[in-house]
Amino acid sequence: MVQSKKQKYLFLAFCLLPTFIMFAIFTLYPLFSGLYYSFFDWSGSAENKEFIGIDNYIHLFNDAIIADTIIHDYFLVVTKVIGIMILAMFFAVALTQLKIKEAPFYRIIFFFPNIMSVVVIGILWTFIYNPSMGFINSGLEFLGLESWAKPWLGDEKWALPSLVLPSIWAGIGLFMLMLMGGIANVSKSYYEAAEIDGANEWQQFWKVTLPLVWPQIKISVLYIVITTLNGSFIIVQIMTGGGPNNSTHVMGSYLYQQAFKQYNFGYGATIGVMILILSLITVLILQFFMRRDKVEY
Amino acid sequence: MVKKLFNGRLLFLLVAMLMLALVAACSSDDDKDKDGEAKGEETTDNGSSDGEISGDLEIQYFVGGYGDSWWKEVIGDFKEKYPDVNIIEHAGPNINEEMRSRWVSADPPDVVYIDGAGSSETQMVEDGQLMDLTEWIKGVKLEDGTPLMDSFIVEPAQYDDGKIYSLPLVFDTWGTWYDKALFEEKGYEAPKDFESFMSTMGEIKEGEDIAPFVTTGQYPYYFLRGVLYPAFAAAGGEELLANVIDGAEGAWSSDAVLEVMKKVEEMQKAGYIDEGFGALNHTQSQMNFLLHDNAFIPVGFWLPNEMAKDTPEDFKYGFIPSPMNNAGEPGAIVPDLRPLAIAKEAENPEAAKAFVEFVFTKEYASLFSEHTGAIMNLTGVDLSTNENVPEYLIDANAMINDPEQVQIYNKPHPMSADLETPISNSLVSLMLGNISAEEFVKEAEKAAEQYRNSK
Repeated sequence: MVQSKKQKYLFLAFCLLPTFIMFAIFTLYPLFSGLYYSFFDWSGSAENKEFIGIDNYIHLFNDAIIADTIIHDYFLVVTKVIGIMILAMFFAVALTQLKIKEAPFYRIIFFFPNIMSVVVIGILWTFIYNPSMGFINSGLEFLGLESWAKPWLGDEKWALPSLVLPSIWAGIGLFMLMLMGGIANVSKSYYEAAEIDGANEWQQFWKVTLPLVWPQIKISVLYIVITTLNGSFIIVQIMTGGGPNNSTHVMGSYLYQQAFKQYNFGYGATIGVMILILSLITVLILQFFMRRDKVEY
Repeated sequence: MVKKLFNGRLLFLLVAMLMLALVAACSSDDDKDKDGEAKGEETTDNGSSDGEISGDLEIQYFVGGYGDSWWKEVIGDFKEKYPDVNIIEHAGPNINEEMRSRWVSADPPDVVYIDGAGSSETQMVEDGQLMDLTEWIKGVKLEDGTPLMDSFIVEPAQYDDGKIYSLPLVFDTWGTWYDKALFEEKGYEAPKDFESFMSTMGEIKEGEDIAPFVTTGQYPYYFLRGVLYPAFAAAGGEELLANVIDGAEGAWSSDAVLEVMKKVEEMQKAGYIDEGFGALNHTQSQMNFLLHDNAFIPVGFWLPNEMAKDTPEDFKYGFIPSPMNNAGEPGAIVPDLRPLAIAKEAENPEAAKAFVEFVFTKEYASLFSEHTGAIMNLTGVDLSTNENVPEYLIDANAMINDPEQVQIYNKPHPMSADLETPISNSLVSLMLGNISAEEFVKEAEKAAEQYRNSK
């Protein structure tokens, strides 16, 4: 049966239009309204708003806290990428290559935090970090290291690094599974050939495993970067609220504070535009640096 | 097959649905205007052309530490008196967030009780959302005939143009709570001024091996409003307090403010402020207080009610004005009022006015203390003979009404969040010992300057 051009376009429209409409309503519309509101002085709690041109953007460049929030965000990005990727890779290799009998059990254990809500994780770790009853300070005291105990989340220097641990803990499982999937697809014959050529396990990891799971590593890193830039807001909000003295504010939590607590919705929208631009630039840079031809043996 | 499919009814249905979705997504503004008109017409019907009130009356009230039992009783009584009025309640701990879209779309409830997270009287006034009550309130009288304006403990907040947009309903007072049972058992004395405050904290630190003072670092405004406001008032009166709240030039860097901040620095250096306070939210800090981990905490009157379920049986609450005053001076209290207001866009303003008038009576003031353990903002309400009022409230009420013990200072209006937030952040730094009092006042003055420029 030969289709006419009209029928072909109708069929394409039938397939694409619903998705496009949903995309337009739930992604494009909020995106452009965010951009629109960033040019207004608007409290977000009343109807009246005043057009102020690029004043919010000028304020953005002069706001000292913004620079800190960007640094905090990228600190979390870098530490999370390094921490999660090293540990997830280690566990993935260990559970696939070392023939551990309890591997399925560990797989469940490591994946467990991924099925927990971030809010629950945040509250759980708030208790772990509690200065008087918390597991960490009690553990340090038990080991005779009382001098190391401190109010982790209440200390301007230690609060941000303290957020890294729960974020890594919560993230390992998913990426471990992704890497395990990649490793499982590597044919055993490569390892046998490498072994015959005299490569030890360390060399096998670097020369066989790593190049062949590179696509999974790339996707994992990109995913961690994007979710951290857009999502670290939750853990910050739950565990420290951005404090003490802004020492843990990330771009998202600062946006929330400005838009919903200080009633500067227009300025909040401006911060949102900044997050979007920075996320895009970061992802493009990462794509550029992580480009690597697909390896096949 | 495909041809049949697209030539048939299914195609028509699909296109119709898509069109409908587009129309629905794009037509919100038109609908709103139409609704607005329709509701406007209804309003005229509800009006008081015949002297009676009727129609729907929407009331928004936050349910926090004081619960909602008092509201339920008042609203029940109002319904009995005005059976033609249908009251629609919007209440709950998150009601301010839930109702935000109604306020944004200029379709607010008629009456609003401004309290709790996500609400700001200052912001509502700045946004022109509240009805001007200046003239109307002059004619409102209590049940005994005294004008309401003469019956407030604290008069309504007046904004730049001297206008009144809200009526202070709840007389909240920040102050410092102390662990009364511990004090009685160990013979510690409740402080009356900064000197005795420091010496008592020293004794407690030594005797109990605890940091005597705690507050919430996640919400530093507890310390700002609970300790610093009274301290500024004691040091420089209402003028300094107003200047500090408005971020007036030179207020934060004045000698009086620096002197107060030096006292805070002294508390920190002596190790009296719990060094873990920075991470605590208000509930955690209050739990630490109830667990005897700390002996002093600055919170408002609502503390016992808020923590009622977690309070150990042997725990006794003691309340004092935050003792930042110099020896020989009376303690200072700065009330923090929770107002009742009518929306400018109220659809049933007559019923709203009737409700506000109905609420402000001595009977409900007394009932308020029974239900909430706090005070309603009306003078001449005798709580001492009321058996249902908790002991700490009777003590506090007597203390507040004794000018030799306590001086009440009023602030003109709440501080804007744009000024309060940066100052609170620097305050945490000072209380953690990361900056000095001099550095704090410099940072605060800078924040005030930015705030003035942003207005």
